[in-house]
Amino acid sequence: MSALETEVLIIGAGVLGAATARELSRYKVDVTVVERNVDVGWGITKANVGVVCQGRDTLEFRPEYHRTRLLWRALPLMEPLCRELDVPFRKVGAYLLIRDQVLKEKLDKLARRTESLGLGSDKYYTYSELKEVEPFISPEIKGGLHDPEIAVVHPVYLTQALVENAVANGVRLMLETEVEGIEAGHTEFRVRTSRGEIRARYVVNAAGEWVDKIAAMVNADDFVLFPIKGYVGVLDRNCSELAKSLLAVLPEEPGDMNIVVPTVEGNLLFGIQLQINRRHDRSTTGHMARKALANARKLIPEISEKDVINSFCGFLMFRNFEIGWHECEVAMSARVPRFLNMTIGYPGVSASPGAALEALEILERDGLKLVPNPKFNPYRKDIPDFSMLSEKERKALIKKDPRYGHVVCRCETVTEGEIVEAVKRGATTLDGVKFRVRPGTGRCQGGFCGPRVTRIIARELGIPETEVTKAGGASRQVPLRTKQLLEEGDGDG
Amino acid sequence: MAEHIDVAVIGAGPAGLAAAIAARERGAEKVLIIERAEQLGGLLPQCIHNGFGLLYFEQDMTGPEYEKAFIEKARSLGVEALLETMVIDLDAERGITAVSSRHGYMKLKPGAVVLAMGCRERSRGAAGIPGTRPAGVLTAGTCQRFVNIEGYMPGSRYVIVGSGDIGMIMARRLTLEGAKVEAVVEIMPWPGGLIRNEVQCLHDFGIPLLLEHAVTFVHGEERVEGVTVSKVDAERRPVPGSERFFPCDCLLLSVGLIPENELSRKAGVELDPVTGGPVVDQNRQTSVPGIFAGGNVVQVHDLVDWVSWEAEAAGRSAAAYADKGRLKVASGVKVVPGKNIKYVVPQLISGKDDVTLHMRVERPGLKATVKVGDVLWKRYRSVRPSEMVILEVKGDALREAGVKGELVVDCEIRGGD
Repeated sequence: MSALETEVLIIGAGVLGAATARELSRYKVDVTVVERNVDVGWGITKANVGVVCQGRDTLEFRPEYHRTRLLWRALPLMEPLCRELDVPFRKVGAYLLIRDQVLKEKLDKLARRTESLGLGSDKYYTYSELKEVEPFISPEIKGGLHDPEIAVVHPVYLTQALVENAVANGVRLMLETEVEGIEAGHTEFRVRTSRGEIRARYVVNAAGEWVDKIAAMVNADDFVLFPIKGYVGVLDRNCSELAKSLLAVLPEEPGDMNIVVPTVEGNLLFGIQLQINRRHDRSTTGHMARKALANARKLIPEISEKDVINSFCGFLMFRNFEIGWHECEVAMSARVPRFLNMTIGYPGVSASPGAALEALEILERDGLKLVPNPKFNPYRKDIPDFSMLSEKERKALIKKDPRYGHVVCRCETVTEGEIVEAVKRGATTLDGVKFRVRPGTGRCQGGFCGPRVTRIIARELGIPETEVTKAGGASRQVPLRTKQLLEEGDGDG
Repeated sequence: MAEHIDVAVIGAGPAGLAAAIAARERGAEKVLIIERAEQLGGLLPQCIHNGFGLLYFEQDMTGPEYEKAFIEKARSLGVEALLETMVIDLDAERGITAVSSRHGYMKLKPGAVVLAMGCRERSRGAAGIPGTRPAGVLTAGTCQRFVNIEGYMPGSRYVIVGSGDIGMIMARRLTLEGAKVEAVVEIMPWPGGLIRNEVQCLHDFGIPLLLEHAVTFVHGEERVEGVTVSKVDAERRPVPGSERFFPCDCLLLSVGLIPENELSRKAGVELDPVTGGPVVDQNRQTSVPGIFAGGNVVQVHDLVDWVSWEAEAAGRSAAAYADKGRLKVASGVKVVPGKNIKYVVPQLISGKDDVTLHMRVERPGLKATVKVGDVLWKRYRSVRPSEMVILEVKGDALREAGVKGELVVDCEIRGGD
């Protein structure tokens, strides 16, 4: 098999790889993205609360940090980017809260710093003023600093949209393609993957959770990463009125994060319980769940165990403990030419548009020719969201395609039309459909629609239902036909 | 759809069918059932086991047989149905918004509405089971649909968490399909379902029932590889050191049912935080005039027979409302759960008419006495939370006792657990 040749190989279709690929698609550059998962945005991008922030709310925030510069660069880009790609962006604002009046000094310090950096003037709210805007807040809270700029996005939707748009503009996407080895030559890299060899002049390593392992394959691991696991709980949409903004308690020590945050869809997330952990172990524990819930109740006492519909764990890849938790790496390897490492840690989603721009500048400085692609189209249209449409729009949509009149997921009001469109856009699994158009994300978690979505995926892909997986690999939803075990048993007997 | 509809019934399960039939029999001319699925019957088509209709028909029937009797009757009475049609909104003036591929976007304003949406199963997220998130974790009812309707098996080796009726029935069903059920794990000291299911579905097949145990971890990356099961203490917390690993490729959940009241909420119907269903009076009228409710949407029943009966009351009342444009809410007396009683339905009664009280106890016990204020008491050899206590109270007795304001129902236990 002859090797695929490409100018830039991006390893990883998470939010960073996707943003970089899409940025490169503005130019006449041959770009290939390889992704080990069956879908895009499923690594550390997926298990993320989706907050778009400047990072100015943390005491470790330093204007001289690389990460800070990327964030400043990225923030004005995020809203227009979401508009171009037709993905939801909600400016929710945030209150950074204190439970102890003594900590007010710290808030004042943050506010002064924000002001002196020209990032705006954050107003302090006393408890009684807070109560006016967030009536469910705990009376234990003494007050909080309001940051009106904080927004939320859905990191997976953003990644999917970036990839869709990049592919529409000529980028090559290879899913279920795992990098197994990299050899650095004088003019090109020979990258061994599970789907054959790829030769590339440049490698952009945006492998998220595995970025250091990939770099180590070619001796370009100029940094150390610490996988930090975080727990997040999801509340029923019926609780959406409990918090309109992001509510966070001022961390009293690094990594102590207690937040309640609305999603773009109106669910509330709470967490985050952080701990250093074995990489890739995304399991939740009862201890984390109890602690996160107890913490959330300290913010909003009305939050009840009964309203928790789901929970998950994700990873933050922290760069270094010594210089603060949050330094990042977007740089050409000091040891291996033309090998660019990208890892941001927290908040990677917020920084991704800035990081992508910076990656392009680094590549250009290194000699990559960025000739504008005249056919570049920055726009991408989202799958219609039936549940959010007006009566008129719904009528028109059903008239155009009656499958939009068939509600498959009752909790989230997702129609067959949306599911079929999700498959057309590249979803091949139950999670792929779920992370595009939401069936199964509601309060019944797929109890009713699961079998129906399985059937639609099988029909649209022309495969038997027994081959439909939750998330690729061995995760088949219904691996056997009925009677099969009995027949096999007879054979054995 | 310009035609006037007297009674619209949301849901075509056993409750919806019974309500529609009763509404027709009570004189409603045009009765319409709106159902999201492709066929009538709700979950009955997938309940291919027996034990249905023992009270209602005095016959041992399967789910499909029970359903058929109601569907035929509904047809003969001219009840109309819209299938694959989803009600997406209901307002306090009984305005219904529904969509379907065939009929598009519809707005209806029936004379009365019966809520018969049934219930849904608690999910893994709601049950808070820790561990990884692989394929092979599903609710018992979803598994039942896959096996009995779609013809697929989600795995070959199972652990079932929760001993609800569907879980125990699926333990037997999967065993008959050649699968191995390693254990049924129940966190409480008593089973969650009926005794008859414990005997016929677990004991008869040698399937272990582990009481006071919980699944404390799910293992497996892509597919379930096993679960850790731990003993729990009196506070339902896992006992360290008691962990046992059970290999399996599927974890079924039968950890409770929740009345499905999203539409009720949209209409502003008052809900009972304990039952999860609407607060109803003895006519099964909700707090919103003209909106009635019956079956598992009100309270999760043990037996389909009682679902049918309760929904019939709702259907009759809805027809009466549609006829006169009003029906007085029987709100004279509030029925209050007292000692060892979790809830009582209906929550409101007139205090003058005959009424059937449905209730669940909080804890099981032997030699129990259920007391309805000073009106009535009844002795039971044993009571269990999983078996609904049903008491008929005569209007004469209520009047004689001069019940006003509140009526407290208590359950006293003289024997042990």
